Amino acid sequence: MNKRILIIEDEEILLNLIKKKLIDNGYEVLTAMNGKDGFDLIKQENPDLVLLDVIMPILDGFEVMESMNKTSDFNLKNIPVIIISNSGQPIEIDRAIKMGVKDYLIKTTFDPTEILEKVNKHI
Amino acid sequence: MTAIINDKFKKDIFSYEDVENIKKIHKKEINKLSKLLISRDLELEKINENLDIKLLQLEESNKKMEDNKDVLAIRLNAKTKQLKEIIDDLDEKVKRRTKKLEDSQKALIDMLQDLKKAKSKEKEEKEKTLAIINNLSDGLLMFDNKNKLLIANTEAKKFLNLDKKEIIGKSVSELFEFPDMKFFFDIVGKDIKEVFRKEFAIKKNLIIEISTASIIKDNRRVGKFALFHDITREKTVQKLKNEFVSIAAHQLRTPLSAIKWTLTTILDGDLGEMNKEQKKYLQKSNLSNERMISLVNDLLNLSRIEEGKYIQIKNFLKIEDIINEVIVDEEVKTKKKNIIFKFKKDNNIPDISVDKEKIILLIQNLIENAINYCYENTKIYINLMGNKTKNEIQFSITNTGIGIPEELKNRIFTKFFRADNAVKTETIGTGLGLYINKNIVESHGGKIWFESEEKKDTTFYFTLPIKNKVEEF
Repeated sequence: MNKRILIIEDEEILLNLIKKKLIDNGYEVLTAMNGKDGFDLIKQENPDLVLLDVIMPILDGFEVMESMNKTSDFNLKNIPVIIISNSGQPIEIDRAIKMGVKDYLIKTTFDPTEILEKVNKHI
Repeated sequence: MTAIINDKFKKDIFSYEDVENIKKIHKKEINKLSKLLISRDLELEKINENLDIKLLQLEESNKKMEDNKDVLAIRLNAKTKQLKEIIDDLDEKVKRRTKKLEDSQKALIDMLQDLKKAKSKEKEEKEKTLAIINNLSDGLLMFDNKNKLLIANTEAKKFLNLDKKEIIGKSVSELFEFPDMKFFFDIVGKDIKEVFRKEFAIKKNLIIEISTASIIKDNRRVGKFALFHDITREKTVQKLKNEFVSIAAHQLRTPLSAIKWTLTTILDGDLGEMNKEQKKYLQKSNLSNERMISLVNDLLNLSRIEEGKYIQIKNFLKIEDIINEVIVDEEVKTKKKNIIFKFKKDNNIPDISVDKEKIILLIQNLIENAINYCYENTKIYINLMGNKTKNEIQFSITNTGIGIPEELKNRIFTKFFRADNAVKTETIGTGLGLYINKNIVESHGGKIWFESEEKKDTTFYFTLPIKNKVEEF
């Protein structure tokens, strides 16, 4: 069975490009365009990995992480999360790493192929 | 017989004899008298003679006296004249002296008046100066040579929250006891060392800059002063500016990411095959986009540097690994210009505690500059050394290329500055790289410098201190 990746990203074009890359490489992809829908999907679908944007409407990426960390569901807590963000201030990276994310990728630095490589590594 | 005659005379009884007798007596008497008279005459004559002599003598004496009198008179006159002259002279002298004294007195009075005026002017000036000092928008503290506080103006008292406390005349060790002055002594120390524009946030909305210096008079230090300059407004403006740059940069990054991802997806062939020409142009677009990304990244770095939150996390790492990674990353460019890297390093360079992301940026900037401004078919030398005595590592990178013109050397680390020959060689560039580098090196406690000869060799150096433990910020 294919591994399932949830992409939570509010920028449609980026969402579609990474979705295509992952599908083309054999992954099953779930998508959400804000933090709240994303967290609901995490709870419902229990994906194998989450690609999480930071600056998003309703719930931002950090709030999604906080909600995941708060839950008592052991499975949810152990889902690997990779942040994909436009902002890459050290203080944000530090905060995300302390929250337990596997990687912090700045969108202008990493292209979809490189993101795919990171996904392959952490799943 | 005379008695008898006298008796007969009375009785008027004379005889001839008597008469003869009387005659005889008379004659005798007359003789006697004559003789007497003669002797008297003689005597008189003698006396007369004597008198004449005396008279003569007297006359002589008189004459002498007269003569003497004249001499004396002449002498007296002369003396009197002399005396008069002396007196006159004395008078003149006294007059002159008096005049002189009067003049001196006048001069003295004038002088006293001038002095009084000068004093009052001085007082006025002093009051004016004090008023200026007191009404300065900057806070000012003045200390004497023994570090006793002489002056604290209104603003200084306000900044130090010392309004109602008597602080003038107090020594540093006494002032040290005031809790509100703690930050000041934390910055300048008990000996009030010289500092320049040290920032301190007294409270959230009050940021000041502290500078201290010596007061020099006739080449001698007579005291010290400390200046407190309120920079809250500048800081707010700077913060707003940085926020703007930061937001703008983040907002710019979103479409740039979209372009990058689209172009790389197409270039990877994920959206189907394309012909050579299409691929060539897409590659060029991608390169332009990458340049745009690095420009935005530089702007972001710049705003972060100026926000003072640049160095964030420090990790122990091997600097040679970073150098090797960057050299590999730059392969495309080096092949294009046919450049060879010669990387030499000391053995056993210790791991250093640094902000990894910033050190990568630093080395990347230096290596990219070396590539961009070197001549084709040349070598770039990188040298990494450990200095145990100084407890630091030293990096250097040398290229042979356009070099830095002598007259522009002092501006090379200035923000947005690019040398003319650099602009001609490489049109793309923000003039931020070396400014950022300087900030990165200095915030790690290191030094950065260069040596360059135009159209010949240029070497950039930096040092980083070796520390034993990872520092967290």
